[in-house]
Amino acid sequence: MAGSRIACLLVPDLPLAAALRAQPELAEQAVAIATGPGPRAEILSVSPEAARRGVRPFTTTVQARAACAELRVRVASPSLERAARAALLDVALSASPRVEAAPPSAGLYAAEAVVFLDATGTGSLFRSEAGLAAALEARATRLGLPPVVAIAGSRPTAHIAARKLARGKPARDSVRARSDGARQAGRRSGVQKGRNPARQATQARKEDKQLRDEDTPPASDPRPNVEIVHQDAAYLAPLPIDLLDPAPPLAEALTRFGIRRIGELARLPRSALLTRLGAGARELLDLARGASRPPLPAAPASTRCEEALDLEHPLEHLEPLAFVLRGLLSRLGERLACRGLGCGDLDLRLALDGGGRDARRVGVAAPTGDVRVLLRLLCLSLEARPPGAAIEGVALATEGRPLRADQLDLFRPAGPAPALLARTVAELEALCGPGRVGAPALADSHRPDAWAVAAFAPASVAPVEPRRPGAGELSLRALRPPVAAEVRVVAGRPVSLRSAVANGRVTAVSGPWRSTGAWWSAEERFALDHFDVWTSDGTLCRLRLDRIGGRWEIDAVYD
Amino acid sequence: MEPEAAARPWPTGLRELDRLLGGGFPRGRLSEITGPVCGGRTSLGHALLARATAAGEVAALVEVADAFDPGSAHAAGTRLERVLWVRAPERRAALRSVEHLLLANGFGLVLLDLAGEAPARTARPRPRDARRGHLERTPAVWPRLRKAARAAGTALVVLGDRRCVGACADLAVETGTLRPRFTGTPPLLEGLEGEVHIVRNRLGPQLSRVPVRWPKPSGLRSPSARCARPAGACMRRCS
Repeated sequence: MAGSRIACLLVPDLPLAAALRAQPELAEQAVAIATGPGPRAEILSVSPEAARRGVRPFTTTVQARAACAELRVRVASPSLERAARAALLDVALSASPRVEAAPPSAGLYAAEAVVFLDATGTGSLFRSEAGLAAALEARATRLGLPPVVAIAGSRPTAHIAARKLARGKPARDSVRARSDGARQAGRRSGVQKGRNPARQATQARKEDKQLRDEDTPPASDPRPNVEIVHQDAAYLAPLPIDLLDPAPPLAEALTRFGIRRIGELARLPRSALLTRLGAGARELLDLARGASRPPLPAAPASTRCEEALDLEHPLEHLEPLAFVLRGLLSRLGERLACRGLGCGDLDLRLALDGGGRDARRVGVAAPTGDVRVLLRLLCLSLEARPPGAAIEGVALATEGRPLRADQLDLFRPAGPAPALLARTVAELEALCGPGRVGAPALADSHRPDAWAVAAFAPASVAPVEPRRPGAGELSLRALRPPVAAEVRVVAGRPVSLRSAVANGRVTAVSGPWRSTGAWWSAEERFALDHFDVWTSDGTLCRLRLDRIGGRWEIDAVYD
Repeated sequence: MEPEAAARPWPTGLRELDRLLGGGFPRGRLSEITGPVCGGRTSLGHALLARATAAGEVAALVEVADAFDPGSAHAAGTRLERVLWVRAPERRAALRSVEHLLLANGFGLVLLDLAGEAPARTARPRPRDARRGHLERTPAVWPRLRKAARAAGTALVVLGDRRCVGACADLAVETGTLRPRFTGTPPLLEGLEGEVHIVRNRLGPQLSRVPVRWPKPSGLRSPSARCARPAGACMRRCS
């Protein structure tokens, strides 16, 4: 696409970033991510502090602990990584409606998470491409995923620029890339049979160092995690070919040909290259030439967000579970806030010990991002219906809902601020219980005591004149459930009654007023005779005869 | 909103009572309505809700006894969609709910209905309060709520069987036992008649008795013989 600009958000070491996102208190400590819980599990990636203390990837946990006694080992969690990828996509969606998550690669860069977004025309929002890149970096960092950001004319160029930045970045995620690079040194530097291995290794190290020195941005660069590329071909030409992540046989063949830089590959004739290296070289050549791909798709309509955590030890009590839920809610809230959304109803799924499952939906009266309120709602639900066994995994999902906009009117009373009101309503529901807070509504029924509760969302309305100025009107006070009464009846009319509300002789009575309905349903049908009764003890109440049950009850008093 | 409008009290709709109260129940103050059952306190509370919502304000009703009748309030003129109805499970939750509502800072009226509340088993009134006929279970909360109401500019009205706010109330009104009016043959309930007693008023005259009349609103008809099938579904065409 002519004139299009693509931004690439790249997190170089996703397992480590996802683990630190879930446990930010480990950020400054020696942390290693292992494939499993056992002592022989392989270390996948290590934090800068662990690397400084001599811990290296692709060793076992025992070896790593021998190098660093204070090492914190965490097991790589697919749930956390999935959530981190989704969070990165949310960051992209906060800036552009056209985004795409790159599929996980299988080679040298298997640990990276990449998201592309269409940066064309975003200058009006962020002043410049550098402003956009800085905003993306800041938002992703706020979500616990410090990324590198590159903007270029095509997806491959942006991706390669981001990889180059990540390689030159002296942060935790470069550790793995460098280690992988060392592992693959023989492959990249053209190890050939029949030559002196020590000399080859020395040569390879020199070449790697030379390439790394060229890639590393100068120390004076104000934003070392941001790269803006204006001339794609000129930018790509001097870069090392391993940034394209070629398959091992292809990399070996290219090395044999003496091709080390992307520019050298891009200059080769396509047909001759395909003849010698096969169809696999086509994609590599397209990447090297920065060929454009189909335009990025529009953003998905769904605003559903999910955060999950696989627990290393089963939880049996609510208190530690609340601690886990707080973290999940906090991350969920940050992701939604990044897109300007509030948290809707919560779907909580618990994986139980023994293979059981517990799924529940917790209603949220109004969209909010207040973690304290949401946590309270979850805890209330768990207290009311505890899970049947110890908890091994927690997944929390919600549908992001837009927060109510605040539109003030000069001539109308300003109600509560929408965000504050939403938080208050959610807080009240957590305090009083679900379904006990809302706007009263008249139910669509002829049943005299029918009522309903609707969501409370008052719109700004113009004042109206009271219907009857200068006079009040009599109101009823409902008794829920109705109070049973013993009634003496003469000629079909009550003459005295005894109940917890009113007692004595009936001084005046009006009625009966008969209401029947729902006769087609055995459970819901009703047939009631209502009387307005004034008793000798001074109570004016509404007495009713349930003609189906044959009971006398008082369902309201006039007050 | 202009300052005068913000300070304007909520009228009850009863002319004589509003005149004595200087326009109605004051905003930014803590007021109290007490009285026996069938004394008209709920009608007075609903009148305030109706006036507040008619003025375009947002109001809140917090209650413990689950006694609010939406049909009755609607018949009295309340715009139900502008009322936040909180059905608290117990008194402490109700008081905390009121505090949250006042901190939300935008409600014109908050009505706390403690009438009909079941007496607590554990709490006992102090001997001094018992002599005065008070049931002072949470004395520390009222100064706090009064301060919050003043900061929010919200009229906080407590409705109860007996006085519980004590000296924190800027206005206290007691409703007496009312007499119903039945007229016609067969007899029909027309309304209630009686009087309201201003027992405490920091902003104006007190110890005044005002005759009041609460007519039964036309919208609050006693249920008539109608079929409750969905509209158009009834074969008898009785709806």
